[in-house]
Amino acid sequence: MTGWMRWTVPAAAIVSMAAPAYAVQYLTVEEAQKAAFPSAHLTEVQSGRVWKASNGGIFVLDHVIGKHLYIDYAVSIEGGRVRRVDILEYRESYGGEIRSPSWLAQFVGKSASSPLQVGSDIRNISGATLSSLHVTEGVKRVLAAYGNLR
Amino acid sequence: METCASIRRARPLLGTFVDIAASASVRCDLPQALDAAFDAIAQVHRLMSFHNAESDLSRVNRGASAGAVPVHPWTYQVLQTAADLNTRSGGIFDVTVAPLLQDKGLLPKNDTAGEVRVCGEAVLLEGGAVRFRTPGIQIDLGGIAKGFAVDRAVDVLKSHGVANGLVNAGGDLAAFGAEPQRVQIRNPSNPRELLYAVAIADAALASSGRGFDLLDHDKAGEAAVWDPHSRRQVRSIAGASVRAPSCTIADAMTKIVMIGGESTSSLLQEYRASALLVLDGGEVRITPDWPDGVSLAA
Repeated sequence: MTGWMRWTVPAAAIVSMAAPAYAVQYLTVEEAQKAAFPSAHLTEVQSGRVWKASNGGIFVLDHVIGKHLYIDYAVSIEGGRVRRVDILEYRESYGGEIRSPSWLAQFVGKSASSPLQVGSDIRNISGATLSSLHVTEGVKRVLAAYGNLR
Repeated sequence: METCASIRRARPLLGTFVDIAASASVRCDLPQALDAAFDAIAQVHRLMSFHNAESDLSRVNRGASAGAVPVHPWTYQVLQTAADLNTRSGGIFDVTVAPLLQDKGLLPKNDTAGEVRVCGEAVLLEGGAVRFRTPGIQIDLGGIAKGFAVDRAVDVLKSHGVANGLVNAGGDLAAFGAEPQRVQIRNPSNPRELLYAVAIADAALASSGRGFDLLDHDKAGEAAVWDPHSRRQVRSIAGASVRAPSCTIADAMTKIVMIGGESTSSLLQEYRASALLVLDGGEVRITPDWPDGVSLAA
């Protein structure tokens, strides 16, 4: 049997207060709309939140925000059913609060075509699983509120 | 050299956020490849969810005590791998842990929940169908299905001609292609800290630890891994990460390492896997073949 090795993580290796964020912008609102309803024309019916597609579909933008986590997501509804849910933006802060203006300011003007280069290069994270329950509950609320929009 | 395009998307699936990044030559339809990969993950979700009464798994839990329940080949494959892991780990990995998790309030109770019985050997797999040898058995695939879903998504991406990719289902991930992918590992004792970075190329990496919620709480929560023998929560180990050829094995093996600790090194070798574990006090132990993380540390 092969033994295990004790390994001391160098203090400098621990990313905490110094590294500001893990942030990914997956889709802009326009890109998400095009992906969800490729051949339909969308009309905004509630400013920055709800769009109606010419094929009868509904596109709703929503977000969940906590102390250290911010998620923008879009729900596409067709025939009273959720057809797809896309994450548009995902941000985690380390050592800072999501709500702080300076923390948020670093993302201004970033889009999917100009990827974020924030602090250290955090591209992927493995660890205890992060729950998506908040988004799942949000999708249910969105469906209840706008599922039968005419 | 052909021009290369890349794309990255995320959807809420499997109770977590599934993130897929892929690059390929411009002739590959990347949005279509990613849609198909997410569809494969959604199908695993539909088949193996404990919470969905219509899933293959729920049909098995309701009916397999009375007679053989035929299941989808993917469900069967996961159950076969789980049975193999159960035998080879000496019962440490056990998908029949569901009644214990129900008893602790970690899984919803259903009509069939009664006396807490955990017995992996009671699951009989034959001809694509599942039967329980004794009554009171309930299966939960929460310790393996996420890894399996990642593997299926990787298959789909490859079959669509994707050259490089990374599929990350809430920390259970697999990378393929020539380019190594840099992955940060969360500190299991403090989820808002990243322990260090590791490079993954044509391999899978999965991690287990105490559950946490970045939205509402700062601190790590209760351990989500329970020892089927002692019926106690794992407390001596804060978290484990396993690198393996497949994410199915990496995912399941994190639970085995969490429960079995340092006694699991020969089993890790059998599955060509390596591991890092973080003891409750914060001390880190690695197997000798763990990919070098020191030089890559952030």
